Parts: sequence; C-alpha cells; structure tokens
Amino acid sequence: MRFRPGVLFVHLLLLLGGLVMAFPFYWMLATSLKSPQEALQAKPVWVPERMKPANWLKAARLGDSPLWGGLAPGRSVELVFPGREGHPPRALVPRTPGAFFDPRAEGTRVEVVYRKGAWRVRLTNTTEEAFRFLPLVVLWPKEVPLEAPLPPDAIRSQGEYWRLEWVNAVPGALGYVFHNYLEAWHAAPWGRYFFNSFFTALTQVAVGLFLAALAAFALARIPFPGKEAVFVLILATMMVPGEVLLIPNYVLLARLGWLDTYYALIVPWLASVFGIFLLRQFYLSLPQDLFDAARIDGAGYLTQLFRIALPLSLPGLVSYGIFTFLGAYNALLWPLIVTQSPEMRTVQLGLQAFVSEAGSDYGALMAASTFVILPVILGYFFAQRQFIQGIARSGLK
Amino acid sequence: MRTFPLHALLSLGALLALGVYASRLGFLPGAWVGAGLGLYALLILWGLRFGRHHALLGLGLFAYWFPPLAFLAPLLFALLFGRGLREKEQAALYGWALVWPALALLLVWHVFPTFYAFYLSLFERVNFLRPAAFSGLENYRILLQDPLFWKALGNTFWYVVFTVPVGLLLATGVAILLNTQVAFLGFYRTLYFLPYITALTAAAAVWRWIYHPEFGFLNWLLRTPGLDWLNTPKGVFALLLEPLGVQLQGFWAGPSLAFVAIMVMSVWHFLGYQVVILLAGLQAIPKEYYEAAELDGASFWQKHRLITWPLLSPTTFFLFTLGLIGAFQVFTQVYVLTPTGGVLQDTLTLAFYLYNKGFRDSDFSYASAIAMVTFLLILLLTLIQRRVLERRVNYEI
Repeated sequence: MRFRPGVLFVHLLLLLGGLVMAFPFYWMLATSLKSPQEALQAKPVWVPERMKPANWLKAARLGDSPLWGGLAPGRSVELVFPGREGHPPRALVPRTPGAFFDPRAEGTRVEVVYRKGAWRVRLTNTTEEAFRFLPLVVLWPKEVPLEAPLPPDAIRSQGEYWRLEWVNAVPGALGYVFHNYLEAWHAAPWGRYFFNSFFTALTQVAVGLFLAALAAFALARIPFPGKEAVFVLILATMMVPGEVLLIPNYVLLARLGWLDTYYALIVPWLASVFGIFLLRQFYLSLPQDLFDAARIDGAGYLTQLFRIALPLSLPGLVSYGIFTFLGAYNALLWPLIVTQSPEMRTVQLGLQAFVSEAGSDYGALMAASTFVILPVILGYFFAQRQFIQGIARSGLK
Repeated sequence: MRTFPLHALLSLGALLALGVYASRLGFLPGAWVGAGLGLYALLILWGLRFGRHHALLGLGLFAYWFPPLAFLAPLLFALLFGRGLREKEQAALYGWALVWPALALLLVWHVFPTFYAFYLSLFERVNFLRPAAFSGLENYRILLQDPLFWKALGNTFWYVVFTVPVGLLLATGVAILLNTQVAFLGFYRTLYFLPYITALTAAAAVWRWIYHPEFGFLNWLLRTPGLDWLNTPKGVFALLLEPLGVQLQGFWAGPSLAFVAIMVMSVWHFLGYQVVILLAGLQAIPKEYYEAAELDGASFWQKHRLITWPLLSPTTFFLFTLGLIGAFQVFTQVYVLTPTGGVLQDTLTLAFYLYNKGFRDSDFSYASAIAMVTFLLILLLTLIQRRVLERRVNYEI
C-alpha cells in the first residue's frame, strides 16, 4: 500500500479535535490532583506535584502505612530538610480554624533537631487515637536553599521565613495523591448518594426492561383487537416533551404522599415508550418461522416470549438498558424536584450541592466530579461496543 | 356461538383499578367508580351464561378495597381455565394482558399528566396552600406579555441557531474523517464520545472551572484575564460590533456572553452523540457510489456534496429535529453554570423558567402554562419541519 499524505492530514485533524474534546477531562483530573495553591494560579500548572512519581516515593516514606499513611498513637515520623546548622527552622501543627480543642495540634509533640547535615522535624503522636491527617507548617529561613522531603502544598512568604504548609504530613503514597478525593468523599455522604443513584437506575432498568419486553412482544407478535389503537396512543405520548410532565407528575406524587421517596425517583419513568419501540423493532425483525415452530410444539405466548424472543433480542435489551441507565444516573432535574432530604439525594444532586458549597476548593470539586462520572466511564471501557451500538440504535427509527 | 370477551373484562378491570386509585386521590368523582363497578358486574353476569365457573370473576368486584383485583381476577381465571380458550381468544387475552402493565403506567404518568397540565394552567396560582380560583386563559395572557418568557424564548431561539448548525457541521466533518478507514478508529471515537456519556452536572462543573474569571484555563488561553464569562449579560453581537461603533440593543444584541459559554459547553457535550449517529448513517451508504464517482473523476468535495450530503440527509434531519426539541429542554447546564439564571436572567431558558416558576415561586399554574406553550411550539415546529423538509430528505438507498 502506498503512503498517502492525506492520511496524515486526517489523523492530524482528528487528533486536534480529539484534544479539544478530551481537554476538559484532563483538566478535571489534573485539578483534582492539585493543592489549592496550585489550582489557583493565574498561569495554569500542567502537571501538578501530586502527579509526579518521584513525589509518590517521597510520600510513601511518610506515615505508618506506605499506601495510606496515618500516625498511630506513640508513633512518630521524621521529615528531613537538608540545610546548614545555625539557621534553625520552626515547625508547628496548625490548629483548625475555629476549633476550641484540637487533638492534633495539642497532642502532637514537635521536635526540631540538627543531625548529619540536615534539620529533622520529628512529629510524635502522644494521644490515644490514630491520626489520618496531620497538617504541618514549617517556617524555613529564606537565606537557606530549600530541599523539602515532600513538595509543600503551599508556600507563602512570612517575614524572614518561607511558610511551608502541608495539608497532611503523614499521607502515604495514595493518601498524598488522592488527598482531594478523600477530602471530597468525607465532605458529604457519597456512599448514600451512590447507593441512591445505582438503586434508582438499576431498578428502572430492570423493571422497565421487563414491562417494555412484555408490551413490545404483544405489539409485535400477538394479533389482538385494539392493537392499532394502543400503538397510536403510545406513539402520541412520544410527542409530549418531558417538561410538560414535571408539574402534573409532581402534584400527583404529592397527592400520593410519595415525594422524597424512592417511588418518586423510579415509578414515573418505568414505562418507556422508547424501550417499547426499540424492542418491538427487534421482535419484528425475528423470523416468523421461529414462532410458528414453537406454536406447533405447543408453546404458548409466554413461552414464546421468554424462551425465544427475549434471548434473541439480547442486543436490544442491552441497548435499552444502557440508555435507561445513563438517563437515570445522569439526571439532575427530576431528582432535584422530587427530593428534599439529603438522604434521598442522587450523586448528581450531591455533586450539584457540592458545587455550590465547595466554594473555591476546586481540587475537591474536580475530585468529586471525577468519581461521579467514573462508574459510567468504566462501564464504557468495559462495554464499548454495546455503548456505541446502543446509542447509534436510538437514531434508527 | 359467541364467546365471552375475557380481554374486555381484563381491560375494564385495569381501567377500574386506575379509576379507584384516582378517586381515592380525589381526581375522579366516586360516581364514576360506581358506574365502572356496575359495568364490571354486568359483564360477569353475562359471563355466567357461558358457565358457572365464571363466577370466579366476581373476585374482581372487591377492587373497591384492593384495586388490582379487578385486573388480577380475569388473569387468574385465564390461568385456571385458559386451556379451553380458542386461538383468537388467547391472542386477545394475552395481547391485552401483556400490554396493560406498561400501558397503565403510561396512562398514569404520561397521558393523564398532559391533560392535567392543561387543566392546571387554567387556574390562578395553584399551590398546596389554598384552593385555587379558575381563571380561564388568564395565565396565557400574562405569559404572552411576560418579558422573561420572551427572554427565555429568545435564548431558546439562539440556542437552536447556534448549536444545531455548528454541532451538525462539526459532527459531519468528524464522521466523514472517521469513515475514511482511518487507523485507531476506536480511539478517536472514544475521544469524541466520552463527553456525551459524562453526566452534564459533572461536565458543567468542570466547564465552570475552565470559565473561572481569575484562574480559569480559558482566560489564560485567550489572554483575557478577568473576563467573567458566566456573569456577562451583554449580547455577543453587541460586544463584537462595539469597537466598530455599532450599538445594538435588546434581541439584536444576540445571546449574552454567558449563554454563549453555555452553548459552547453544550456543543462539546452532544458532539459525540451526533458523530456516532452520523457515522452509522455514513456506513450505510454503499461504497459503490463513491467508487463510481471516483471513476468519473469526482473530487473530494463533489463526492461529499453530491453523494454524502443527500444520502445522509435523513440522519441529519433526525439530528436536527432532536436538536430543536432539545433546545426547549436545556436545564442542567444552565442550572450548574449559572444557578440564578445569570445576571439579569440572561441565561434563562424555557425549562429553567418553568422550574423557577413552579418550584421556586410555587406557581404551578403559571409553570403549567409555560409547559403547554412549549408543547405547542414544539408540535408546531415539528409539523412545519416535516412539511417543509421531509419531502426533501428521503432518498432510497
């Protein structure tokens, strides 16, 4: 095959466009690994410190466990700052703003000694409880060149000193890299949100699939009186845009006393016109001979449905399942309307609340965004073909 | 001999069950339920002529206390005595029995709400606090003079004008490039497709960070420090033409900069979907057409203008319709990027206005009026589109 310069051009164009498409993802990921000071830079930081493997090794040495760090009672950790004798740094564990009593600030013994050409900051946990996070501030004289044991999360100028701040001096490798993720995860009951989202979406998929399969089979394969009328009615409901249903369905749910329950999140969307159409299309495409043969062998309609039609329409079921799951998992407007209590929030709602609460902590915000989209992205990589076909099928009438 | 219409009883039972629930919630006068029960009983009496065992159907009369019984009793009867049914009766019975679960849900959560929304819109300020007064079409009269409604409609118009052509053009370009048997097709497709399966909430959170006035990436890229994308209510046409000394006001000033920012994000989000659909459309065009055109010496442009474009037009038409309808439902992006609807409500969309009126101001009737007008507009536009465009887009392949 001869080389065509056109191919190179095509790749160049696609790559350029792809970069634009992928950039927000990179930016989300990069920001989620930034310290606040790195995030809030007028000149963007392309590769944050927490993304560099050399720093992972440094962080692994700090804390009890190399992966998750922490400081158990009675244990201590030593941070080594190579430097000259005679210019002693100062170290302290900062108090949480507004805290009346701070066990970490009061229960940590801080010693600064000079030994073998380096200043050593030794932190000892003198309390009874284990620390997962131990913030640290070191004041380092400006005239001595700085070589920190772990890149500080913030450097500020304070008179003669550099004020070096660490959000966690005992992070361990993962605790260091995913600090923002841990922070975001602990800021809200995300476990509950994820359960709500998955439970809602999976129930919708399972029950919706079952109901749609029944109806679609009847519409495709059973000649019953009134079939045309039912079909026209279902067609007509397709014309009604979703927002028309918001208010009346809300009122209906209020009358039923279902607001702020799982019913409100699930029931209104169980019957899907799209699903019925999609599966009907599938059943119609199956050869009639199959069903005739089954009929001769004495199979009733239910047997035909569950033993022949359903197994053969698996691709259609998967398409519809993915489509419904995406719609339910990614929905914001409906959960926003029908739920009030934090216990009933779905992840999207939790994220939305987090956006307005997190303020300028963009690292944590991007971390939360990342783990909210992670399940779908992972699902995509596992079932890429089904995703693409499922979406493409929605375009075929 | 005529046979007993079991499927009619079944359907009546399903309606009766819904009716009992409706009357319990106060949507239906009790007399209707009484009439339904009477009809049901008459049918069963008639059934007794076909055999004593039809008395079992009388179980359905307890629907007044447990509504699903009206539907379940005929089913139970069919299970016990269904063997004796003839082919045609079986088809009628099973057809309806399979269709009803989905149909009932559709009736309750799609069909009824559509009418109920219209009914609600005829009242003066419906909420849960006090009984509402009937006001005829007053809400619609107010709506037509509501500047915010026109603002929202104008934004919807700009959304269609900007995002649909831009999105389709970009997507067609990408799809054509991807269809050139390019290597790494899956990789590129993933790049373009990922934004679509990403939750809009998370995506909008990321874009909000990119649009950040001080530390946002976009301002660094464009060298426009301090430009507050999401809080600039000035129209883009006005902004562009200002240096030339042209002053534009009102509608002609164009969509606000904030709304353009939202539209850019939306194009990014939906591009992958359009690419996948268009790619499927492209792959359905027979290769022979292009080969024949190449033999005749057609250029790249000629091939795509004379073969691709006309044969792809049904797909493009589908996406155009989808974009048009989607424009009326833009909510999540706006809600996350500009939670208050922007400065001076400049990013208001119809769905967002509906949400504000219904769930922030608790004016369900006015919100329903907005919903009904939206519905009518979509219906009208779809009809016009079909009339004008559909004749031109259907080509037989």
